[in-house]
Amino acid sequence: MESTAKFTKSMVECSLLDKELGRPFKPGTRREATPEWDKDKCVRCGLCYVYCPDGAIYRTEDGFFEADTDKCKGCGICHRECWFGVISMVKED
Amino acid sequence: MDKFSLFVPNFLPFKEYFVPEKNIACSGCGLALAIRQTYKALEAVIEKAEWVKAGDGKLFARLFDKSPMGNSEPSLLRIKKTGGELIICFDNEAGGSLEEAVKKAMPAIAVAEGFRYVATACPSYPFDLYEKVKKGLEAEGKAYIHILCPCPVAWQFDPELTVKIGRWAVESRAFPLYEVGSASAYHLAVTTAKPRPLADYLKPQYRFAEISEQQIADLTTTVESDYKKLTDKIQPE
Repeated sequence: MESTAKFTKSMVECSLLDKELGRPFKPGTRREATPEWDKDKCVRCGLCYVYCPDGAIYRTEDGFFEADTDKCKGCGICHRECWFGVISMVKED
Repeated sequence: MDKFSLFVPNFLPFKEYFVPEKNIACSGCGLALAIRQTYKALEAVIEKAEWVKAGDGKLFARLFDKSPMGNSEPSLLRIKKTGGELIICFDNEAGGSLEEAVKKAMPAIAVAEGFRYVATACPSYPFDLYEKVKKGLEAEGKAYIHILCPCPVAWQFDPELTVKIGRWAVESRAFPLYEVGSASAYHLAVTTAKPRPLADYLKPQYRFAEISEQQIADLTTTVESDYKKLTDKIQPE
């Protein structure tokens, strides 16, 4: 098939699932900023929870959300995806 | 109180199967996001899921015969089920060229191979992805799902844009979300009356920093004609 050669190049080339090559994530490392929620504006929709790649965001008992600082890598997707501009990324010292 | 709250993930399982302690994902990884969402959909059969190398699958044995990726990491998720299997390809366009970024041959080949259920999905539309993986599990016979995973490192964009880039890919019609069920019935999951300009999708990626206006215009023509072909296959209900 003609398209075969082209096609192979676009496959995944990532060591994400390679246990031997990769170094597992050390809790609390690799982070520049942490998300912070403004509880006055938050409507508790949970979109931040859905879009977190690391599953770092969890729901507290009162329905608001918080990031587990051991898991968060500070990518800022939650900050970008929040419809109400509730989440701000706070730089760490 | 909980009854009245507008809580989006009420429809998803809460348990996390793909957690950072066990993986080495970069910050803002689209692949990790896609796998996390997929694993939630696979909840009941998660023990049956196995990661295979590109050459191991039956369909792919032929396609990847001379693949340079032959001995590399596993990249396909295979779930055995009664009467067939579900194959999920997580595509992050590693080493992909400009043409490949706007043209996906894989789902079309799977349809030609006689797969009973073929779909494209993107983690920017999590509930769509969830539904499609569920459908793939329930479908009779073989099923194939192609998931576009934006990669901030290879595509060279800001990690916080991961979800947006995936959405722009769909809105600009470069990666239309569709599914092909039994009897080759096509269904388009996300329709945009007025497409987003292709430049919105390509420009934030620094791997395409040197792309010219002419190239974008040419690609837009390709994308539009492909989209036309796709919509022509959809039977009016």
